[in-house]
Amino acid sequence: MTATANLATRLEGILGAHRVVAAEAELREYAIDGMVPGAIVHPASAQEAAEIVRFAITEKLAIVATGSRSKLDLGMPPARYDIALDMTGLHEIAHFDPGDLTLSVDAGMPLRHLANVLSEKGQFLPLAVPCYETSTVAGALASGIDSTLRKQYGTARDFLIGAEFVDGQGAPCKSGGRVVKNVTGYDLHKLLVGSLGTLAVITRLNFRTFTLPQARGGHLACFSNLEGASSYCDAIEKCGLPLANLETLSPEMVALTAAALRETNAEFAGHLDPAKWCVCASFEGSEAVVPRIARDLQKLASETAAADSEILDAASDAHLGSVSREAFDWLRWASPSAALFRIVLPQSKPGDLAALLCVAQESSLRSALLVRAAAIIYFVLLAETEDESALHTLENAAAGVFFLAGAGQGHATLLHAPLKLKSRVNVWGPKRADLGMMQRVKHSFDPQSIFAPGRFVGGI
Amino acid sequence: MPASLLRELNSLLGSSNVLHKNEDLVLYEYDGSVEKARPDLVVFPHTTEDVSRIVKLAAKYNVPVVGRGSGTGLSGGALARGGGILIVFARMNRILELDLENARAVVQPGVVNLDITRAVEHAGLYFAPDPSSQKSCTIGGNVAENAGGPHTLAYGVTVNHVTALELVLPDGEIVRVGSKHGDTPGYDLCGLFVGSEGTLALVTEITVKLTRKAEAVKTLLAIFDAVDDASNTVAEITARGITPAACEMVDGWTLCAIEDYIHAGFPRDSAAILLIEVEGLREAVEAQAAAVEDVCRTHHAREVRIAKDDCERDLLWKGRKNAFGALGRLAPSSYVLDGVIPRSKLPQALQQISQIGKKYGFSIGNIFHAGDGNLHPIVLYDPRDPRQFENAIAASHEILSYCVELGGALTGEHGVGMEKNELMPLLFSDADFDLMRRVHDACNPDSSLNPGKIFPLSKGCGEIRVRKQAETLPAHV
Amino acid sequence: MGTPQNIPGAVPVYEDFARCVHCGLCLNNCPTYRLWHLEGDSPRGRIRQMILVGNGELPLSEGFVGHIDKCLDCRACETACPSGVEYGKLVEHARARIENEYQRPLFTRFARNIVFKRLLPYPSRIAFAARLLRFYQRSGLQSLARATGILKLLGLAEREKLLPRIDDHFFFGELGKTFPAQGTRRARVAFFAGCIANVTFTKLNEATIRILTANGCEVVVPSEQFCCGALAAHAGVRETARQLARKNIAAFAGGQFDAILTNAAGCGSTLKEYDHLFSANEPEHAAAVVFSKNMRDVTEFLATLGLVATLKETRLRVTYQDSCHLLHGQKVREAPRQLLRAIPGIEFVELPYSDICCGSAGVYNVTQTEAALDLLKEKMDYAKATRAATIVTANPGCLLQLRAGAEIHKTGQNVVHVVELLDSALKQQVIP
Ligand SMILES: Cc1cc2nc3c(=O)[nH]c(=O)nc-3n(C[C@H](O)[C@H](O)[C@H](O)COP(=O)(O)OP(=O)(O)OC[C@H]3O[C@@H](n4cnc5c(N)ncnc54)[C@H](O)[C@@H]3O)c2cc1C
Ligand code: SF4
Ligand code: SF4
Repeated sequence: MTATANLATRLEGILGAHRVVAAEAELREYAIDGMVPGAIVHPASAQEAAEIVRFAITEKLAIVATGSRSKLDLGMPPARYDIALDMTGLHEIAHFDPGDLTLSVDAGMPLRHLANVLSEKGQFLPLAVPCYETSTVAGALASGIDSTLRKQYGTARDFLIGAEFVDGQGAPCKSGGRVVKNVTGYDLHKLLVGSLGTLAVITRLNFRTFTLPQARGGHLACFSNLEGASSYCDAIEKCGLPLANLETLSPEMVALTAAALRETNAEFAGHLDPAKWCVCASFEGSEAVVPRIARDLQKLASETAAADSEILDAASDAHLGSVSREAFDWLRWASPSAALFRIVLPQSKPGDLAALLCVAQESSLRSALLVRAAAIIYFVLLAETEDESALHTLENAAAGVFFLAGAGQGHATLLHAPLKLKSRVNVWGPKRADLGMMQRVKHSFDPQSIFAPGRFVGGI
Repeated sequence: MPASLLRELNSLLGSSNVLHKNEDLVLYEYDGSVEKARPDLVVFPHTTEDVSRIVKLAAKYNVPVVGRGSGTGLSGGALARGGGILIVFARMNRILELDLENARAVVQPGVVNLDITRAVEHAGLYFAPDPSSQKSCTIGGNVAENAGGPHTLAYGVTVNHVTALELVLPDGEIVRVGSKHGDTPGYDLCGLFVGSEGTLALVTEITVKLTRKAEAVKTLLAIFDAVDDASNTVAEITARGITPAACEMVDGWTLCAIEDYIHAGFPRDSAAILLIEVEGLREAVEAQAAAVEDVCRTHHAREVRIAKDDCERDLLWKGRKNAFGALGRLAPSSYVLDGVIPRSKLPQALQQISQIGKKYGFSIGNIFHAGDGNLHPIVLYDPRDPRQFENAIAASHEILSYCVELGGALTGEHGVGMEKNELMPLLFSDADFDLMRRVHDACNPDSSLNPGKIFPLSKGCGEIRVRKQAETLPAHV
Repeated sequence: MGTPQNIPGAVPVYEDFARCVHCGLCLNNCPTYRLWHLEGDSPRGRIRQMILVGNGELPLSEGFVGHIDKCLDCRACETACPSGVEYGKLVEHARARIENEYQRPLFTRFARNIVFKRLLPYPSRIAFAARLLRFYQRSGLQSLARATGILKLLGLAEREKLLPRIDDHFFFGELGKTFPAQGTRRARVAFFAGCIANVTFTKLNEATIRILTANGCEVVVPSEQFCCGALAAHAGVRETARQLARKNIAAFAGGQFDAILTNAAGCGSTLKEYDHLFSANEPEHAAAVVFSKNMRDVTEFLATLGLVATLKETRLRVTYQDSCHLLHGQKVREAPRQLLRAIPGIEFVELPYSDICCGSAGVYNVTQTEAALDLLKEKMDYAKATRAATIVTANPGCLLQLRAGAEIHKTGQNVVHVVELLDSALKQQVIP
């Protein structure tokens, strides 16, 4: 390994002692899958971040940029981890033009704080991601984690309009701009979405913002089996009702959700029946639209023979929404040894879902399943221990999941798993055809591979 | 061009798919822009393998290749600036798969944008990106330029509707990126290649999302006696958070030319009109239309008309979509610009544009995607007078610099191409260029693919490149 | 190379060419571009070639002539062009120039000479040629030739299907007559009978007169009328076209007509543009303007006048193929559709890409058989998909082409003119 001796001291020499931390206890807080950095640096500006990157280049050190550190377990642990570059010190709003609905914000800005500022002007950023209360905007973006609003507002790539970042040569760069429509130059900022910090250190992000809806509503429908739930979802898609989110929960997932709801102590007036498949819809719009959608859903539910269905009041919908937004978080800890997959299939047919559940059954594992935004499957296998036999079972089941995803022309990633499982299973799934192209991109951004080496797809 | 290259291409593609005579090549030295550059050979592949083999041959002979769709581009993107082989995708125009259930279509790059919609509209679906050139331009060209259109405002541009691409790299390697459903783990490579103007790879297959038609739609035509009123209306519609599906502005003078073409009953004495469309659930549409109308009236709209039926709506859109062309009625030549500004700056931008026009003695038309802040000032000039052409270029540079000054960008949808590459330093630093160049070189290391585009050729500041007169016309007529 | 000045009549000027801003919006509306996807066979490319040839930057070569010959002159590009390029004018001029300056291969020259200069201008010769052809069709020679496969061997099989079937009696006999209006006279119109139509579309012409008189029109069929000259003008044989125009203008002058009507869209668009054949300073120009202003397509006229005759319910699924010279040449789109919808019981379905030429285009199906057949194939594929029992159109040339198409591609569809469908509803009989 590189000579990281007196790393902290040398870093202090660059930015001053108050920007560098090397105390054991704090270093542990920055651990990724048990790997601990040599030092933590808190830059206060893009310039300072660039200086650290340049230092790392000359010293051949590896950097992982961090935000609130809520999703460091995504991907593989880094191959090398010398400096944790804590970006939370960059937290200003550089520019907000409510009249243009555009925003330019520093990487370390917490989402919650940003939401508060935007809401003063009746606007918001549709990044409803897990660990919302602590997440930073750049962390949320680089993690690539799903927003529960994606059905209506798309993913971050759809409303990210520009970025500033430090590339792997230590140069502050930018791409895109601050206008909502722009094709000047390559859209390099899009590459940063979901890149897990492997391309550059994000210092600032430009977004288009959206106006807060007048009203919101929710709806819950329960079905005695998966087929019923599926045909209900199909009917909704067919008639093109604009929903903000549509989630299908397996009975086990209903139980887990109900438990998570109870933990928040929030009043929830709806009825979540853990013996049923539940479909939760949330929607927003004008005062006239929200009741209309609720009515239509009631009708569709009864037409597709729902066992039970109800319109949620605004408060219950909001509570349910924030609990399901956090599903990624609480599913990770839903058992002592949980393996959480994100699966995308071109055709999420009931058969596909049943096959997944079958994988769990055959391994005698508890499992739960959530289809988000009618497109993305969250599937968790819940093992009770981390011992060898449990790991073995999980490993086999994981192979099954990856196989099913591949067979259905889709793909799966393992979002979270016990570290020991990660060392046996490629969390990114089988090798992809476009890996070579990704390596080329990586190399052009970060020729020396100093950014989070090894965390990403194909060992990038 | 070595004769053996022609021979090899002929035997690869058959001679009906290769053009080499000067009289044929001169018909590929133009596109929709004011630029010109002649290829040495023109070829028509039918399959991805054809493309890969052509590219390999080109590499062997060390000649550049450039892709071309319909040649409606407005930045000279499809012109063979460094000569070489022009690969025209027009004959690769098959729709390979329609998956209506999952709302996806897999198409070859030469499929015409509107033909996708025509193939799926029976199922209540359509392809959302709707450039005004959609009845002619190809999806390959749309992908390369990341084309937008009036309805981009609500539905996004091409990149928001592409989930997978098949690419041919300059060394002939065939690569697939993205996946049918989208959401592929790893870098968003589709996001990189869409909008790369054919400088990173040739696109040989595209998977697009299809969009479901909205339940209800209302199209409003607001007529104004002052341009300021119209631009203030747009600014306020945006600021109030009303998101119409489209919000287009046309100045009164251009409107007369459009009216001459389609006779849609556009007023002949207005200063500007806004064409605003709201879509969605019936209830939402009613409320939004009312809100839009309210804003228009607050800003002194003389009249707000609502299209009675599909027929009237189609006519209004026909007027808008044919607006550029209709200007051909007013002057022998026109130069279409494509700047973007923050929408809150619309009123002042329009004032400045008209000032710049006055300074150079031009009438400047404005037909544009107001809701996006995507301006299309159109400079009308007479190419017979070389001074006018030079002035048109100078005026356009001044306008684009002003857009940048306001916090905007050089191009919203037409691309940089060989038209604005020298202006790029207005926006980007050396470090930005370095990184873009490294990404470029990762795919296209010898610049053998579409050379001379996007990147400035002259190092340094955005000085105005003095260009020769664009075209000549018969002396006898 | 000769100077273009020796082409008679109006000559396009700088602005006519400069109007083309090479935007390409016309490409996909051009049937030949859709077939081959060659810029050279697109409106934009053809205009560019005209400019370059005009400038002397390109020679008037075989290539240029080929691209211009392949143009259907369907003028779909005019409809598509937002800039208002008058392509028809430009291409006729280019053809005139080719006719003047280009040496075609001997045989082609000979054939063109016969058709455009020696046959079409003379009714008696048309009748004679038609009798010959009728003999061939009726004598059993045709079936013999078909059966023995001789035609196929000669590469003529499909071309032969495109030939018009010659009527048993000719319409020439009706020239010079006046047909009184039934009921109150609502209009007095002159009928332009066409040339070839006299021998191939007698029934259509008769139907036209019936539907007009039934709806209160007095119909005059002036004698001394000749071929409209469309085929000659489109082929660039300009002097012949001008001669015919002079004769026709004289034949229809002074009759106090509310309108001059034709049921042939191809003729109509030329007749409506007789004024283009003469430059403004020529003496014939003024009369040509008057004539052209009064010219109407029969569907256009009837739709405006409104139908008064009662029509019988006709249960039929029909589709409509736009005739290029009606839609693009005369910008008449709604009138024929309106008339079709006026027949009770008719189920009207739009034909996808009905605005694209069927490949008939005057004599195109004879001079460019392969292209014509390719266009026809695509057309019939779409027509079949409409599941309409009857394909309706508004021009004799299109009728022939589509009938051939229905036969070649075995779609089993009936092909009729709008007027014929109206007429059969009038006669209280249902078209099979
Ligand atoms: C009247 C008019 C209106 C227009 N309106 C709009 C509008 O509203 N919005 C808008 O965005 N644009 C508009 N445009 C611009 C133009 O139509 C678009 O840029 C369109 O996407 C170009 O498509 P094309 O097929 O003509 O491509 P071309 O002009 O042939 O090529 C454009 C670029 O794409 C590249 N390319 C083409 N095919 C491929 C391929 N298969 N692989 C790789 N590269 C390829 C070429 O190299 C070139 O760089 C308009 C143009 C005109 C003339
Ligand atoms: S003819 Fe008209 S539509 Fe065609 S390229 Fe020229 S201007 Fe454009
Ligand atoms: S007249 Fe018809 S065939 Fe000729 S260029 Fe125009 S559209 Fe094409």
